[in-house]
Amino acid sequence: MKSSSVHLNLLKSSELLSSSPVRLRVMLPVGATLACAGLALWWGILFTQLVLAKTQAQAIEDDLAAKNKAHAEAIQKRDLARELKLQLEQLEGYRAGVRAVGAPLAKLAEVIPLRVQLKELSFTPLRAQVLQPPGAKAPLFGPTENVETQKLVIAGLTTKETPVVSLMESLEDGFEALVTSERKINSFKQDSAEADGRRLLSFEVEYTMPARRFAK
Amino acid sequence: MHCAIIASVKLQLTKDKAIELRLPRGAGAKSASDITGVELFSSDPGGCPAVRLVFRKKAWHLAAAAKVKAPDGELPACWEDTPRQPSWELPRDFLSPHAALAVNSAMGAFAQSTADAVVQEMATGVASVSEASAEEKSDSGKKRFGIKRAPGAPPAKPGAAPAAPARRPPFPAAGEAVSENGRRFVVRPMAEDGFHLCASLPEFQTLWLSRLLPEGRRPTASSIQVAESALMASVLLQPEFRERDGNALAVFVTRNAVFFAGYRRGEPVLWRRCPSVGGSLAMRAAMRRTLGLDEELVDSVLDEALIDPRPALEPFVRPVLAQLELALAYLAGKHGLKFERALLMGLGAGAAHWATYAEESLHLRLVSPNPFEGLVRDRRVEVDGAEGYLVALGAAIAGAEVSL
Repeated sequence: MKSSSVHLNLLKSSELLSSSPVRLRVMLPVGATLACAGLALWWGILFTQLVLAKTQAQAIEDDLAAKNKAHAEAIQKRDLARELKLQLEQLEGYRAGVRAVGAPLAKLAEVIPLRVQLKELSFTPLRAQVLQPPGAKAPLFGPTENVETQKLVIAGLTTKETPVVSLMESLEDGFEALVTSERKINSFKQDSAEADGRRLLSFEVEYTMPARRFAK
Repeated sequence: MHCAIIASVKLQLTKDKAIELRLPRGAGAKSASDITGVELFSSDPGGCPAVRLVFRKKAWHLAAAAKVKAPDGELPACWEDTPRQPSWELPRDFLSPHAALAVNSAMGAFAQSTADAVVQEMATGVASVSEASAEEKSDSGKKRFGIKRAPGAPPAKPGAAPAAPARRPPFPAAGEAVSENGRRFVVRPMAEDGFHLCASLPEFQTLWLSRLLPEGRRPTASSIQVAESALMASVLLQPEFRERDGNALAVFVTRNAVFFAGYRRGEPVLWRRCPSVGGSLAMRAAMRRTLGLDEELVDSVLDEALIDPRPALEPFVRPVLAQLELALAYLAGKHGLKFERALLMGLGAGAAHWATYAEESLHLRLVSPNPFEGLVRDRRVEVDGAEGYLVALGAAIAGAEVSL
């Protein structure tokens, strides 16, 4: 048996009140408000993160664009620097390749024997440089070969063989900038010219000049 | 928290046939294991009797019992009084989650009725003469129960056509509180077919009581009962009641009335107010009047053998015993219940004399157990005059849905 058979409760279920200080009718709106506030906060955080991410992405894009530009400029400058360096190297090569023959030639006048008359002092022509090779976009700054060799041809008249020998001996010392020891007597023969009643001899000596090097 | 709990679902299968499915009750209606029972508006000058019952270790414990300060204000006598709603708080010892309030109201009603009588009562909306007189007194022409009444409206002429018959309200489901014609009704079937226990209170009193204990603080009202209804449940934990498997006859003596209650296997089969007899106050008045005693001496005379109270007591008790004999005959003839012992509840001093008279005239032994028997009393609980707590105890027991 249950006492419910004698429990005559006049209170309706809709009138039951909760003794709990936490009331559902209060907590539900509070909970709903908190949930909405939480969602709004979460949305706000997401929105802020989105804005930050967009700002960072924009900053990164701007930075990347600036870096790309700077990189292009750097590459351009590097290329320019490389080109200028090459030019400088070429110029230095040219400077190194300058053949200072003024002083030896001036000194040559002092060592010419009395019985020798120079008729000709000439350099053999250089081989033409190919400064615009086929397919190249721009002409080369320097010669394709770093080493050039020329010949110095000394032609003249003399009375006999000894002064020529003396001249060649004189050129062996102190004229290293002008000639090397390598020489070749192209001709030594009787000439039609006369001096003091004697027929003169013509000679032609070909000297190999020191190699002209286009390098530092 | 307002708990709108759907108790049942009614399905209309055909035009004439419908089925009703009872759903499990919600959290607000389930039995409580910690409950405070309070008797409100008793004539006890000491305050409102209150008890707190706690179920632990497979037994009901009496955790507290005391007379507490009554709520401010009076139980409203009409709708106009309901705005004056006090807020009531119980002492610390009674701060249980639930409270069962048993109210003594002149406008309340509790009776054993047939279904027709219940429906008739619901249709008229007036349950007692006192309430009818109160209705007339408070009728000031204002709109009440949704009906506007003119203050000096003449009565209907004898030759005039009769008014249209009032709507016949449906018979309420067992245990379901319903509002009808400004009253709150609740009905429970008795063990005998065709009879029901019906309790009712004016709607405004029920609403006033439901809001008396504020929400959010312990306790809140989980049950509102009329005092007689609570009285009927007060014996359910008695060892005498349980030992006899719920077959018992109980005589409840209140301050203003005497009631007989019969139980068969724990189910109520009889509830009857002893007619033409007052309660213990009337008995004591007869003692004072007949023996020329002061009020302070009445208890001494009733409990001690120095003065024979028979000349004053017997004229009061004999009519009660005559009605008790009728109740015994009814229970024996109708339900086959024969009793050699009956419970005499609520009577403090003088119970021994009542038992003597019953033994002499009815060969019935009236036993007067302590109302708190069957409960494990906590150490700190000390109660004087346990009989005064019978209604509060019954309210708590009924509100806790105690099983036999």
